[in-house]
Amino acid sequence: MNAIINEINTPTPHSTGSLKGKTIAIKDNIVTTSTPTTAASKTIHNYTSPFDATVVELLRSHGASISSKTNLDEFGMGSHSQQSFFGPTVSPFKRHGVALSAGGSSGGSAVAVAQGQVWAALGTDTGGSVRLPAAWTGVVGFKPSYGLLSRWGVIQYANSLDTVGILSRRVADARTVFEALNVFDSQDPTSLPRSVRQRIAARKERNSAKGLRIGVPTSYIISELSPAVRAAYSSTLTSLQNSGHTLIPIDSPTTQQALLAYYILAPAEASSNLAKYDGIRYGFRPPGPDARPKLNMPLYATTRGQGFGDEVQRRILLGAYTLSSEAMGNYFLQAQKIRRLVQQDFDRVFAMSHPLHDNATSSTGDESGKGVDIILTPTAPILPPTIEEVEQQSAVERYMNDVFTVPPSLAGLPAASVPVALPVSVQAELGADDVKTAGMQVIGQFGDDELVLEAAEIVEGLR
Amino acid sequence: MRANLVRAAPTTLFSSASSIRVPRACIVSKWLQSHGYATLETAKPQTVPLRKRLKDEAKRKKAEARTNSPKTAKSKETQPEQWELTVGIEIHAELNTACKLFSSAPAAAADSNALPNTNVAPFDAALPGTQPQFQIATLLPALRAAIALGCEVQRKSGWDRKHYFHWDQPNGYQITQYYQPFAEDGSLRLTAEDGVPKDDLNGAEEIAIGIKQIQMEQDTAKTTHHPPSTYHVDLNRAGHPLIEIITLPQIHSPQTAAALARKIQGILKSVDACVTGMELGGLRADVNVSVHKRGTSGSSHYGGVSGLGQRTEIKNLSSFAAIENAIVAEQNRQISVLEAGGVIEGETRGFTLGATETTRLRGKEGEVDYRYMPDADLPPLIIGSDLVAHLKDTLPELPDETVARLQKEYGLSSKDARTLASLDDGDRLEYMEETVKLLSSRLGPDEQKKAKLGKAVGNWVLHELGGMFTTSEMWQRCPITEVELADLIANVLQKQITSRTAKQLLVSLYDLPADGKRPTIEQLIEDGNLRLRPLSDEQYVELAEQIMDENRDLVETAKGRWQKGKMMWFVGQMVRRSEDGTVEPEKAKEVVRKLLEEA
Repeated sequence: MNAIINEINTPTPHSTGSLKGKTIAIKDNIVTTSTPTTAASKTIHNYTSPFDATVVELLRSHGASISSKTNLDEFGMGSHSQQSFFGPTVSPFKRHGVALSAGGSSGGSAVAVAQGQVWAALGTDTGGSVRLPAAWTGVVGFKPSYGLLSRWGVIQYANSLDTVGILSRRVADARTVFEALNVFDSQDPTSLPRSVRQRIAARKERNSAKGLRIGVPTSYIISELSPAVRAAYSSTLTSLQNSGHTLIPIDSPTTQQALLAYYILAPAEASSNLAKYDGIRYGFRPPGPDARPKLNMPLYATTRGQGFGDEVQRRILLGAYTLSSEAMGNYFLQAQKIRRLVQQDFDRVFAMSHPLHDNATSSTGDESGKGVDIILTPTAPILPPTIEEVEQQSAVERYMNDVFTVPPSLAGLPAASVPVALPVSVQAELGADDVKTAGMQVIGQFGDDELVLEAAEIVEGLR
Repeated sequence: MRANLVRAAPTTLFSSASSIRVPRACIVSKWLQSHGYATLETAKPQTVPLRKRLKDEAKRKKAEARTNSPKTAKSKETQPEQWELTVGIEIHAELNTACKLFSSAPAAAADSNALPNTNVAPFDAALPGTQPQFQIATLLPALRAAIALGCEVQRKSGWDRKHYFHWDQPNGYQITQYYQPFAEDGSLRLTAEDGVPKDDLNGAEEIAIGIKQIQMEQDTAKTTHHPPSTYHVDLNRAGHPLIEIITLPQIHSPQTAAALARKIQGILKSVDACVTGMELGGLRADVNVSVHKRGTSGSSHYGGVSGLGQRTEIKNLSSFAAIENAIVAEQNRQISVLEAGGVIEGETRGFTLGATETTRLRGKEGEVDYRYMPDADLPPLIIGSDLVAHLKDTLPELPDETVARLQKEYGLSSKDARTLASLDDGDRLEYMEETVKLLSSRLGPDEQKKAKLGKAVGNWVLHELGGMFTTSEMWQRCPITEVELADLIANVLQKQITSRTAKQLLVSLYDLPADGKRPTIEQLIEDGNLRLRPLSDEQYVELAEQIMDENRDLVETAKGRWQKGKMMWFVGQMVRRSEDGTVEPEKAKEVVRKLLEEA
């Protein structure tokens, strides 16, 4: 499956705490001192960090054993874990003998969990990179609210969207890891300060498991939604209703624009965050001088041209263009406006108000004026394609897989993907080696991570 | 070779140090990129000053040859008085801070002896997974500067990334305040004493130059060249906090531009906002220059000023002379181009001190697009009005205030007051004030006329003592204590010794090691038998008569005709013939005058 880039052989010396004896894999864009951290890129394929990421230190201090560094799409850019310097990761599932996509970019972490190689794994989620591979490999993927888990030591892709996420087989395990990592870190300037954490904690003594008001975004029933996923979604909603929860149709007009905004903002930030890879201080650098003035190739063109893969180069170029003074007004600024609209869309439907926003957009909720507790959507519009199908897709077609995961990323909201069994009729059509589940995504208001996990557990428990 | 040169002639230290310093990265990289060559080899000229100088010299000669050809006739008819010059300045100053802007690594200036690449936090080296951590303390000198320059400190400002590739910019971008600077709308007043020419003042006492904004930003790493083709990058300076001060285009003469830069430097030093001045590379300036015909209105506008001609920018000027000369050169160039019917291009130009022309670095087409973007890792900077108020209340005295006080309290001339205030980072002033204090307490209430004492001490500190020190370093090692100087001046004022004696004492003190064992001023006067023992009135007359007798012919020409020169010749003879310190010239003059009248 090629899920692992590097094994870590150093045993954990002491083992006490909530993660005692648990083996956890780390996506290879989170730095560790014990092995190289490569981001699956030729650019830093031999780079070893002089410090551990805060989340890695926290896992160790809670007794976890860090077992391996997992494969990914280079720098987290991709939805199929195919764009790696160390070769693609594939799903353990097959369709007509052809391996399926494991999803990306945290495909290595998802596969390691799905195959039982590790108890849990850390991934990173910028626009769905934890939730999508979780959905396609049949495991749980949780992306907490932006700012809760430290990004110190997490190699930036799009730093206003990047979050550390957790992959596990059960929601309860994801919660255990989340609780170990959910602390303020002064080294991450975007880490939510203690005062805000206390404010968030103080305000959620609300209805939990019983009788959730579940938002069902009508606009998510898009034409691209495959019959199999649609069937799984319907049966999940029906089961939830039968269990006493209330389904509330909600309007989210910005869903389609959200994906466009994401693919402007994320590459723009990527072009900036990846500017540091020049081969001067560390990392890959081809021999000889790195400039070809006569060929009109300026500084670092060779290093960066050879060091980065195609998808990374595509996004850097895209980002450099949308940030250019000519294009900025038409792209970057417009995309920021859409991002604001997406946030407002969510704020409007949730019963709980956003703890960081002044009452600018007060929650109007549905017709009853109460608002919803969580929103449920499919994680991805389709079941995993085969890697052969992926190869034939254009870049833009690949980006479509993120259509449901991107909106909560733009708004910084907590979201979890939970596997639900495909209806028997759908399973019958698929082969025995194929996936048996589809991912359902639970989205909560900012800071409402605990409720998202509770709701995810409810979905997990449906039968 | 260079080391020898420095040792032999300390005064060249400054110029060679500043020429070693590599130009600011943005300029270098923009220039390199615009020319398409950014190899290590082609960067050589910046770090081989001699070669660059020769090359620039050759270029300049070529350019001169060009203007001497057909165009010469026209350029001779240049009428500068018909053109109005407009200049705006951007000054970059290194802030005086203990640590870097976004990491806790020690700031370059705080630890100038550090080995290369030792004061580097992971973020400063742009290691993967690192993030900036704004160091609040760096804000203090920046705020003091903004307040001293009369700016409105903004409650909310932000951080932006300015992108360009260069090896001295580890992250591939500089964090600056492009969209929302922390201070805006300041103003500086300049007078003739500051160096504003009469024409520019136009009859007024002073002129005001607006400051558009001040922003905080990161400095770059330092590159050193190891011939033939090795370059070392030292990240100690990378991330050091800078402020960039941007004036409005309200300057209309080259001298005023230099005066403004000098004034800003003085203010920054006085409020302890920056450590080193322009001469040590702590300050660097870019100027934008345009001309338009008087009585007409140009079509360009920037900084909220309209009716201007097309401007060009001259980058990276590192001395006051360079600022002034670059503007003169660019003004002349633009006028001759316009008078020849040409058009000024909006472009970036360079200037080497000593040159008569600026040189084109790149035009609009070579403009680097910095792709400014808000830094999503950094929350906005919120500055409370209470902090600003506190800093305002505790702001050190500004240079203009010091000068006014020196004139008022000590009766110093405007020129002496300015000199004293500007010398040796204020050390000289402190020394002077301490000496006055000691002197006042020694001389008792009767003689406690502060103005008189102040003037005397000012004179000694500036001219007698000052003459012995030609550089700032020498002053720092000044072996004469305030107590000794006060003793010395007290003896002069009390007519215990002559000024001449006092000056000699000063010289001998200078050579004695200040180890606590050296004699006091009183001891020196006693040991050298230097105390003034005035002659009696009879002795004065006797001495004068003796000299007159010996020079009857002179007496004849001098008597009754009040030839002061002749009279003073006799006085001089009296001083010379008697034992040191026994004849007071004033008294001798009276005696001679009387005798001549009687003769």
